[in-house]
Amino acid sequence: MAGIGFELRRILKKNTLLSYLEAYGLAAVVGSGPWVLSILALMIIGMISIGRVFPNILIIQYLVLVTYMMAGSLILSGMFQLLLTRFISDRLFEGKDHKVTPNLLGCMLIVSALGTAIGIAVLANTSLDAAVKMALLCGFVVLCNLWLIIVFLSGMKQYYRIVATLAIGYTLMVLASWLLPPYGILGLLMIFAACQGLITFVLLFFILRNYSAGSLIAFQFLNRKQAFYSLALCGLLYNLGVWVDKFVFWLHPEVSFAVIDMFRASYIYDLPIFIAYLAIIPGMAVFMLHMETDFAASNERFYQTVREGGTLESVYLLKDQMVLHCKDSLYQIFKVQGITLALLLLWSEEILTLLKIDLAYLHLLYVDLVGVSLQVILMAILNVMFYLDKRYQATALVTVMTLANLMLTELSIQLGPEVYGYGFALAMLISTVLGLVMLNRQFNRLEYETFMLQR
Amino acid sequence: MKRIDVCLLLEGTYPYVRGGVSSWVHQLISGLSHLNFYLVFIGGSRSFYQQQHYTLPDNVVGMETHYLMDKDGLLAPRARRGKKSAFSLWQNVISRFKNPEQTLDGEHLQGLLANLGKKHGLSYDDFLYSERSWDVIVDLYFQHAQNQSFVDYFWTFRNIYSPLFTLVKVAENLPPARLFHSISTGYAGFLGALAKQKQQVPYLLTEHGIYTKERKIDLTQASWIKDRHSALDTSIHKKMEQTRQTWIDFFEQLGRTAYDQADSIVALYEGNRQRQIKDGAPADKTGVIVNGISMERFSEAYAKRPQQAPKVAGLIGRVVPIKDIKTFIRAIRVALNSEPELQGWIIGPTEEDPSYVRECELLVNSLGLQDNVLFLGMQNVAEILPKLGVCMLTSISEAQPLVLLEAMAAGIPCVASEVGSCREILEGMNEHDQQLGRCGYVTNIADPNQASEALLALLEDDQRWRQMGDNGYRRVQAYYQEHTMYERYQALYEEHLTWQE
Repeated sequence: MAGIGFELRRILKKNTLLSYLEAYGLAAVVGSGPWVLSILALMIIGMISIGRVFPNILIIQYLVLVTYMMAGSLILSGMFQLLLTRFISDRLFEGKDHKVTPNLLGCMLIVSALGTAIGIAVLANTSLDAAVKMALLCGFVVLCNLWLIIVFLSGMKQYYRIVATLAIGYTLMVLASWLLPPYGILGLLMIFAACQGLITFVLLFFILRNYSAGSLIAFQFLNRKQAFYSLALCGLLYNLGVWVDKFVFWLHPEVSFAVIDMFRASYIYDLPIFIAYLAIIPGMAVFMLHMETDFAASNERFYQTVREGGTLESVYLLKDQMVLHCKDSLYQIFKVQGITLALLLLWSEEILTLLKIDLAYLHLLYVDLVGVSLQVILMAILNVMFYLDKRYQATALVTVMTLANLMLTELSIQLGPEVYGYGFALAMLISTVLGLVMLNRQFNRLEYETFMLQR
Repeated sequence: MKRIDVCLLLEGTYPYVRGGVSSWVHQLISGLSHLNFYLVFIGGSRSFYQQQHYTLPDNVVGMETHYLMDKDGLLAPRARRGKKSAFSLWQNVISRFKNPEQTLDGEHLQGLLANLGKKHGLSYDDFLYSERSWDVIVDLYFQHAQNQSFVDYFWTFRNIYSPLFTLVKVAENLPPARLFHSISTGYAGFLGALAKQKQQVPYLLTEHGIYTKERKIDLTQASWIKDRHSALDTSIHKKMEQTRQTWIDFFEQLGRTAYDQADSIVALYEGNRQRQIKDGAPADKTGVIVNGISMERFSEAYAKRPQQAPKVAGLIGRVVPIKDIKTFIRAIRVALNSEPELQGWIIGPTEEDPSYVRECELLVNSLGLQDNVLFLGMQNVAEILPKLGVCMLTSISEAQPLVLLEAMAAGIPCVASEVGSCREILEGMNEHDQQLGRCGYVTNIADPNQASEALLALLEDDQRWRQMGDNGYRRVQAYYQEHTMYERYQALYEEHLTWQE
């Protein structure tokens, strides 16, 4: 999606300190996306609700249920996100803008149907209140759709509306949870579902206004000739890989407990890692800014020169430039995420104290901060692979990540509390290093593969 | 299957395409009925060759068809390294295609036969997808075309060399034959060279036109090749667009390899033989075997020949630009000034190029020749010849036009433009032949004044007219009889077949 690249470059052209802040801010919101904002909002809700919702266990139950909704919806929609993104950008490249809306709606229909079916199947095995089940189901299906729609945000030009929508949506959620008379867990869940629904539909409204359409619903994005199914697998595995360590902790009785019905949480693992995830915002902002500006532009120049018959000399030069921009982007992410990491490591104790969280979590937070920082670099590497159209290699990389995270986390539980978190961090380290090695090889063989292995 | 005496290698002609070469092939097979022929047809794409236009004579014992541009059964692209030894041979072969003066020798051809398309050599997938193949392309590109569009170069490379894989496969699977005979250079000629190396039997080559020259003309005019000259390139000595040059080099090498491997190289007339020698054919292997006609077909026409010249000039041929019908029409216009009774007949099919036919009709109208110039369409040549005074041919390109021989067999003198072997036919090809006397006049291309002058010279003097008609009759009888051609080929085949026994 080149849209945000143009916008970011336009802002940066002003070349003032403020314009840099603006560009980074925009990149942070669009880049780290609503799920980081969701975590932030939930933490605020969690904190302000203490003392208002009784008993306190209800808040924990609420947060755990929302976490499951987030995990499930990210994994489910992950199957379609990359697939749909690629389909849409291919059609836009062909100038077939009118295919965007019908296929988005078709995809939302399928995701909603799948989400509903899975949601019902899971909730049928619980003994929750019928009303709570309904609220959970609504929230889950809405989230699935929200993640799909986010794919389009960077492709549109109305960034300030998007930022405003997200800001208003989440502020509303926090305020409603705080100000409305407490209706216990049902009330909180309904507010959550309603606010996510509001955000989803307002964003959908922007998209529908942006792309004209000849028909309402289409399923061409599933057409074998136009779709890359490997991307579905890649998206599924990536989200699975990011969540698998949490699932492992939730499933082990010695490190988890039943919170509500069948939904379990880990008293030791969950809190630090969710705080740690907030630390990726600066890294994601830099990632978005550099990848979508310099790198995306040099990538496009490279392929354009290939298509339009440049000399091999110029193709080589443009690749060198692309490699340089990629290196620079990764370096910038490394630098900014590194500084963030250093500061957070320094202030971890203060942060935990401020949030009134037990300092026993401190060590785990350190490890998780390193892990999520590596995850940002891994995301950047995967993004470069998608630009280079290395779908299978990207899938292989996320498979390694998922398996490593699963096995190393399991191992860390076997080894005892002092190594909790190392499974996740080590899995990210292994995949990041592997990703860099793969990327290096892909760049070295880029001309060969671009010409010789095309269909 | 019966023993195969002669395996004919046919590119884009018999039995799928009508025309001079095809009827010649049919004539040759029918004329040498005691030999068993096997046909190998090579075409570009299956869709171009649907219908067979000839009934194969009984002595054709088998036939196979191959299409060089149809690709099926390809594996999906997958990265691979490629075999080192196979690619060093490949690089060596390709460098000779880039440098056609260095002909591929038997060793190269053996190498190709042993490696191309072989799993443990250079498979087609390796050619398309392997890293070593890529290295070869990049090397060549930097040597020969580094200022050209790479993507064009890349696809040209693939398209040019892919057919070699098919040819090697075809050569591998040919049934055993005692002798191979290709009717052109090009792909068929290269296949002949490969087949000779594979089976170690003689290989003969007959060229009607000059394949490589025709390809050069096609290629310099080809509009499918994009000229991507830089707008800033203001140098006067712009080299020919690399893509065209690469194709031309390729066909030159195919031709040279065929010449080099052939045991005998036959041309239709001396001019083409000289051209073959210039293009790299070893002079001692070359020879001329002219086409012949059956005189019996025209004996009745000859008998019917009137005492005085009918005031009719006939052009027998398709109404297409290459025959330059317009010059004929203009020549009639000029000749009418001295011979008001004169008729000009255009005898031949008009379906091929309707817009050219229309132009000719407009010219006839604008010159006011509606009563004097007639389009007669297809006619039985033997029946119409006695009605003609002169047989005219204004073509801008010909090889050895049979229509002149037919007119001569009917005792009709001819006027022909100086193309192909027209001068040899009308004035004699060697000293002995020249003593028979001329049987018409040779004129410059596209010169209606000269053509009309020659026409009038024949029509105005009945004695000269009959004399030249008789000269022609005797020349056909002496040199251009069908059976003479059969005998010559029979002798050529025997010369190469007997040493095997």
